[in-house]
Amino acid sequence: MEENGLVLTSCEVSSLVIDNLCDGAGGQNAAVACFYFDFAAQKEQSSTSILGAVLKQVVGGLDEVPVEIARAYGDQKRVIGGRGPRLPDVVRMLQTTSSEKRTFICIDALDECVAEHQVKILSSLKQILQKSPGTRILVTGRPHIRAEIGKRLAGGVTSVSITPRRNDIISYLHSRLDEDTIPDAMNSSLEADILRKIPENISEMYVLAPILGKLPQAIH
Amino acid sequence: MYLLAAYPQTCISAYLLVLSCITPCPIGSLTIYWMVLRHPWSYTNIHFSLTPRNSTTCSQSIPSSIISNIYNILSVEEQGMSQSFSNNTNSLNTTVNNFSVADDRSDILAWLSPLEPRLRHQDIRDQRVEDVGEWLLQTEEFRSWCAGSGGDESDNAVLFCYGDPGVGKTYIR
Repeated sequence: MEENGLVLTSCEVSSLVIDNLCDGAGGQNAAVACFYFDFAAQKEQSSTSILGAVLKQVVGGLDEVPVEIARAYGDQKRVIGGRGPRLPDVVRMLQTTSSEKRTFICIDALDECVAEHQVKILSSLKQILQKSPGTRILVTGRPHIRAEIGKRLAGGVTSVSITPRRNDIISYLHSRLDEDTIPDAMNSSLEADILRKIPENISEMYVLAPILGKLPQAIH
Repeated sequence: MYLLAAYPQTCISAYLLVLSCITPCPIGSLTIYWMVLRHPWSYTNIHFSLTPRNSTTCSQSIPSSIISNIYNILSVEEQGMSQSFSNNTNSLNTTVNNFSVADDRSDILAWLSPLEPRLRHQDIRDQRVEDVGEWLLQTEEFRSWCAGSGGDESDNAVLFCYGDPGVGKTYIR
């Protein structure tokens, strides 16, 4: 089945939230860090490299690299051609940075992470929250990981379903129609029909997705 | 050998202070060991003053110009610029220690992780349809999550946004 043109994917939700936070929703001077899981890149996405990437974004936003991190780097670069940080080191550094500065961590599509690393990441996030309860963590994914998140993070989880709303569908249809590469095939009556009938009849994304994927062919 | 020490005037919790360096600092024929207590994240709340351990010995033996130079390096209060202090400290570290945080910044960031999530974010950001999903930002769940600070028991630090299994997580352009 062609999976082209989903109205509202988890990564779009994540990027929307991240942009909103970066624009100041989280308060001035907040650190915002994100990570997008990708099933195709599971090999490179270990718990250490993922949380290291989160830390990298936090540190990148500071005026100066924290001394603790600079020192760890200085120690490790001299041995065996440069050893990388270990997960406990990264977690400790994140605990420190998040205690100093309000931090938002957004993890997209956690269900696409290898189970072993998923457990480590949730456990690490819990450690960060224990040290710095003001830290905000956004996780997106399929509903089946909800229980796992609740269990590993020991409660304190609010869940929101990301089923698209009617306005989302209309905005999306407008966008797709505007991008039509063969506009001559469209007329105002057909466009009005599309904009009226699809949002009326379809509200569930899993039904909408394959239909929208074939929309251009259907039009032409 | 003389010991010159810089102390933070304000009272700062011990855990915020990191002993940055105890560095032999040769100035002419004198060797000055100096110690700076550094705030690990910023210098905003720290004011330094230079206090010789033995003021009598120092004032007799160390030329006032040297004391003045060191004061200049550490004179955050007079310049009112915390950043200038950090820059000065870095340049001194480079000279004395062959170690500079500023010079190594990009190397340190690369060392933390080879992954670059910002590229993926930019990719999705460019593809996202305007206004789609904006309702989420207006929900009470999102707002209270965003505004929470972990201060009370009802605060939820984690927001989990989930989609139906049939939605598909693959994003193929």
